[in-house]
Amino acid sequence: MIPFNLHHAFRAALGVWLVLGLGVAAPASAQNIHLRFAVEINGTAFTCGGSYALGSASEKVIPTDLRLYVSEFEAIRRDGQPVPIRLVQDQTWQVDQVALLDFEDGQGPCSNGTKEMNTTVRGDLPAGDYQGLRFTIGVPFALNHADPTLAPAPLNNTAMFWNWQGGYKFIRFDTPGFPLHLGSTQCASPSRTSKPSGPCVSPNRIEVRLETFDLRNDTVVLDFGRILRTTDVRSNTPKTQPGCMSFPGDADCIGVMQAMGLAYDGQAPSGPQQLVQRRVGRLTQ
Amino acid sequence: MKQVAALGLGSGLIRLLGVTTVLAGLVVFLSAASTQSFRWDLPAWVPPPVVPADNPMTREKVALGRHLFYDVRLSATESMACASCHLQEHAFTERSAVSTGVTGESGLRNAMSLANVAYLPTLTWAHPQMERLEVQALIPLFGDHPVEMGMAGKESLLFARLKADPVYRRLFEAAFPEETRSGESSLYSVRTITQALASFQRTLLSFDSPYDRYKYGQQTQALSASAQRGESLFFGEKLECYHCHGGLNFTDNLRHSRMPIAERGFHNTGLYNTDGRGSYPPGHHGLAEFTGQPADMGRFRTPTLRNIALTAPYMHDGSIPDLASVIRRHYAVAGRATADRGADQVNPLRSPFIQGFEISDAEVTDLVAFLESLTDHGFVNNPALGNPWPQDHRRARSAP
Repeated sequence: MIPFNLHHAFRAALGVWLVLGLGVAAPASAQNIHLRFAVEINGTAFTCGGSYALGSASEKVIPTDLRLYVSEFEAIRRDGQPVPIRLVQDQTWQVDQVALLDFEDGQGPCSNGTKEMNTTVRGDLPAGDYQGLRFTIGVPFALNHADPTLAPAPLNNTAMFWNWQGGYKFIRFDTPGFPLHLGSTQCASPSRTSKPSGPCVSPNRIEVRLETFDLRNDTVVLDFGRILRTTDVRSNTPKTQPGCMSFPGDADCIGVMQAMGLAYDGQAPSGPQQLVQRRVGRLTQ
Repeated sequence: MKQVAALGLGSGLIRLLGVTTVLAGLVVFLSAASTQSFRWDLPAWVPPPVVPADNPMTREKVALGRHLFYDVRLSATESMACASCHLQEHAFTERSAVSTGVTGESGLRNAMSLANVAYLPTLTWAHPQMERLEVQALIPLFGDHPVEMGMAGKESLLFARLKADPVYRRLFEAAFPEETRSGESSLYSVRTITQALASFQRTLLSFDSPYDRYKYGQQTQALSASAQRGESLFFGEKLECYHCHGGLNFTDNLRHSRMPIAERGFHNTGLYNTDGRGSYPPGHHGLAEFTGQPADMGRFRTPTLRNIALTAPYMHDGSIPDLASVIRRHYAVAGRATADRGADQVNPLRSPFIQGFEISDAEVTDLVAFLESLTDHGFVNNPALGNPWPQDHRRARSAP
């Protein structure tokens, strides 16, 4: 009975949160935030069914899935102080501090996906003078290792299940023959369907900090072509996971993990993340 | 309104919890009130399934549907019931590789398990638009390619058979009071029959296997050491099983009351490669048969693994006899096409998760032990899901 009641309590709490947070109780000075995201492959807008030159050999590929979790949004005040953005709890795309971005429309090669898409993050924050944005690509540790079969949406999305031990796929970018799945690895736990007893050795969350970002007008652009530029997506290193699944010891991961600004296989990151950039103004797609 | 605003401004945790409790109570009360006539037989941890708004669950419809499911009068020759190919002791599948209809014609598909069919957003092996049990029931009843129960064009005969039985008169009138008032042509109709069949099938719920008791019931002894090692293999990155067979129903096709958006998954597992370019044999094109897309060749909907030890033979065409063979001669070699035609014949259209793996005999034993732990003996022995007809009821007995 406990999980059932907890779930009802959780839903009810969300209801209260919505009523109080968005309706009557929001401070008069709060501002609504509607962050726009876009995905490109080497500068070309991504759509399901599109063919893109990808990887070191510029192989023409037709991706089949593109979804990712983003979390822990903060606006950066002009004085450098980060201020948390409180997410709308819509129980579909956003829960707690986490949002699922979904750029596939379930059509054509993406038919294992969903027709519903989500390319924005919605929330609010106190009025203020903000000049930047920071967020995380990934699910916070506290939410990442709960039972995904029982979690609230969007953390019960089967396509983003990894397992309890490793948590969720933070990024799922699939091309035929080369899936890219980012997630936490080396998480010590009693079994693969148990929570890890402590932090994972490789959390693999990407910290994104855009020092200059107009919350009202700019767009967050993720370019998956840029992070796969040094990777040959035509082949998979024998005896390793298909594509790059974030696990240590996979030669197919080295270039892409570095380009995401992540430590990999004992190597410190070679530089800042190259996946996310600010695009001034709205995209006309 | 003022009160709410005051609450909001001083929204301390304690006050929030107080309101939460009241609201939670309200939610429980309301849902109890609206489902008074029907209660899901589910463990507390399982979210209830989604039911179409135009066919709400009632005990009376379930009772009617159960009688119809086990009744050979639903077939042209009065020799075959739904239960003829969906046997409870095999988790509502059958032992034959493919099903045979009333004319003796063999179909091309292995009868799918009906366990937890209420949780599937798409039904059958590869029909992306088949989303409702009410519609799916039309295929075995009236389909003629292949002929299964052979009732195409024989609706009046079917209604006459049902009307003639006083047992059905009672069941139909109890299940469909509104249609009863509208008259016999509304009461005995394809619509009422398929709605009742769908309602019964939504009660075929299987969430009480040893693995569930181990995972959700805190019964640490419910799973053998071998099955626990098998669990680790199953959820591991060497075998990659759980990428498609994940979630509470061990398939990436799932919808339930806590999921606002359903998930669907159709995959080519490399079972065939007839032309070196990934083709499956005629009649086995899977999703491509419906979409016309070459890339959809051989893609079939991921079946649940619940009760999988009872549902042999395996794959969409029943072409693999046992679980050990599915592991060794299919998944371990990156698809059976390679076992049949050589390693260079790996299907180029297969899922990227089908890469093959090295596996020891001990590991196969462990993995099979894990799969066997998904067998829900209470489900396959539940008398409430079995044949409701007394042995001596005239002509009603089902074939099995």
